[in-house]
Amino acid sequence: MNKKGKGLIPPGLIYMADNITSKQNLLGAPKGTGAKWAEDLNLPKEAETIFFAGCGYQYTTTLKSMMSLIRKMDKSPVGAEVPISIAGFQKKMGIDLAGVYRKLLVKDTDSDSQPLRDAVKVLRNLGTEFGYLADDEPCCGGLLYYIGLQSKFAQNARRVYDELKSHGVKRIIGLVPSCTYTIRDLIPKYIEEYDLEVKHFSEVVLEGIQSRELRFPREVKVTYHDPCQLARYLGLIDEPRQILRAIKGIELIETDWTNREWATCCGGGSGFEVVFPELSEILAVNRARELVETGAEIIVTHCPGCIMQLEDGLKKLKIDNVKVLDLAQIVAMAMEV
Amino acid sequence: MSVFTDYKKEIMDAAHNERIRIALSRAIKRYRANINNALEKFPHTIKMAEEVREIKVKAIGEMEQLAEQACEAIEANKGKAYIARTADDALNIIGKLVGSGKLIVKAKSMTGAEIELREYLEKQDNDVYETDLGEFIIQKLESRPMHILAPAIHVPKEDVAQVFSKITGQKLPPDVGTLVATARKLLREKYFQADIGMSGANVVAADTGALFLIENEGNIRLATGVPPVHIALVGMEKLVPTFGDACKVAEVTWRYANYTIPQYISVVSGPSSTSDIEKVITYGAHGPIEFHVIFMDAGRTELAKHPILCQALYCLRCGGCLYECPVFSVTAGYFGDKYFAGIGAVWASMMRDNKEKTAALAYTCLTCGRCKIRCPMKIDTPEMVIELRRLIAEGA
Repeated sequence: MNKKGKGLIPPGLIYMADNITSKQNLLGAPKGTGAKWAEDLNLPKEAETIFFAGCGYQYTTTLKSMMSLIRKMDKSPVGAEVPISIAGFQKKMGIDLAGVYRKLLVKDTDSDSQPLRDAVKVLRNLGTEFGYLADDEPCCGGLLYYIGLQSKFAQNARRVYDELKSHGVKRIIGLVPSCTYTIRDLIPKYIEEYDLEVKHFSEVVLEGIQSRELRFPREVKVTYHDPCQLARYLGLIDEPRQILRAIKGIELIETDWTNREWATCCGGGSGFEVVFPELSEILAVNRARELVETGAEIIVTHCPGCIMQLEDGLKKLKIDNVKVLDLAQIVAMAMEV
Repeated sequence: MSVFTDYKKEIMDAAHNERIRIALSRAIKRYRANINNALEKFPHTIKMAEEVREIKVKAIGEMEQLAEQACEAIEANKGKAYIARTADDALNIIGKLVGSGKLIVKAKSMTGAEIELREYLEKQDNDVYETDLGEFIIQKLESRPMHILAPAIHVPKEDVAQVFSKITGQKLPPDVGTLVATARKLLREKYFQADIGMSGANVVAADTGALFLIENEGNIRLATGVPPVHIALVGMEKLVPTFGDACKVAEVTWRYANYTIPQYISVVSGPSSTSDIEKVITYGAHGPIEFHVIFMDAGRTELAKHPILCQALYCLRCGGCLYECPVFSVTAGYFGDKYFAGIGAVWASMMRDNKEKTAALAYTCLTCGRCKIRCPMKIDTPEMVIELRRLIAEGA
């Protein structure tokens, strides 16, 4: 890569890109740390259909800690750029900065991995047979594509494809909208013999619940936040809504104007949150405000990035009587699994 | 990273500015109500926009030929037409036509802002009046435009009252009606004293050399109709083959700019003329005696060759995308350079004047894609921005 060109990419993005290429996850965490959530679930590692968990859900706790640190730095006179550049430098020197952050800051890991565990429970409840690659799950590399490192993305796409093929994978059920879009739409652009069938969790669930009785534990008003990648990239706008409407006890209230393909971005996306951490937080607050104005007590969404952003937004607004939950959690509750 | 750091500071200051947030949230609310109303009243616009996209896609591929055709047509109408390869060429042509010591009344023009035309003419010792109210406010505030259609979108009425009070020497209340009347009074005599009127164009028909000018204020009619000389600077991407095409482009443009119908649509194709005395055609009747049109390339034909970035040239400048951009809603035009938001990054790359600023803009786009949903031309800004980032990363 041209050194001059690379100098124009914000350092936070270079840091994450290096993590993907060196450690196969956004955070540069050691191999296997992302798979801990599934240790007691006995998911087979070899299967024709696999559940793709994705960095966002697998590293939610670490991502939250990192973002909180980066935001604090960004608001300080030093700014976020210099420390992030140093983080990249330290990693090259063999210091696992992300690991340090993790040890320092890891807290309630269980609740953070709830969407993943619930997604697995829901799929099992629907009788879907699937496996999970656990510590062999590659990083889809989507971020590389979005930040302009397409040649690295192409290399990563090959790596991802070969890894999946080496496990005999034929079908993928994706959960993170961005990973799902990357595997479904971007990787095939670089892999001529691509023949994987990719479905998103919401599509599988909607097919599966057709003749099912679903009831939420109590009467509740919810609103739904469309993740950009799910609605405008994958085109899955009706599916989550049909699922919510199929659950008795749930009343879905849409935001005024900013719903479906017109949904406002949560302010996190394509690495924006590490380049403009504070601005990203302002956008999270704005979106959280739009959603809260519906009067809903639960904001349902379906993306780890959106969950983090909206939780931050609510916190900044000092609203503690509205919860952000993943669609997978809602369905799990309605199935009583 | 100094350009980036300065830029980041600027957009963060904007994001913390409560006045910008309030001004924009009001504007966005009004825009959405207005466009919904306009599209409900004239539902054919959506289909027409698809047709216009096809017209634009074809026209962008033929800009060079269309510019030549338009030049011939304008010359046949007894106007003068020029093709400027670069921004400097355009400034030189206009500079020679204008000279110095002139009074100029100017309509708002993004293309003019792109090449800093007003600043150039002022440096040549000319007295230039921006006549678009928003642009006039910006000029007086020594600020810079923050939206392509509503340049003073970030300025609340209290600030306008303050600056107008200073100019008039009277204490003016922050009352919109009073402020508009004051601008009318301040500018009215200038049209009649001016040596030259200047404008851009929203769309140009190559077959007839007809320039379409869309407005509400009436300043463009006066600026292009009253002074003895009319000079128009037009980006080559504004050209379409026929008069009929241009009508469609114009209608789609104003509809997505949230108007059912603008108060004025002017079509200008030559200097004023008459044949009322013995059928002898004489040029220079009541309107301008001279009519000059400069078609400017300045990177456009090069951009048109790029399979993805060429989409930026389809832009009608309706401004709809800006109202849908979550970043723009808190930073206004600080997320931009001469043009704004994600698509503005592509235009900045075309102008090639500041690579670091272009990169900073490219990485400010969320690639969330709501702009694309709004765009009547279905311009895929996220796709363009990602491609631009690739070019930046690869040092191209």
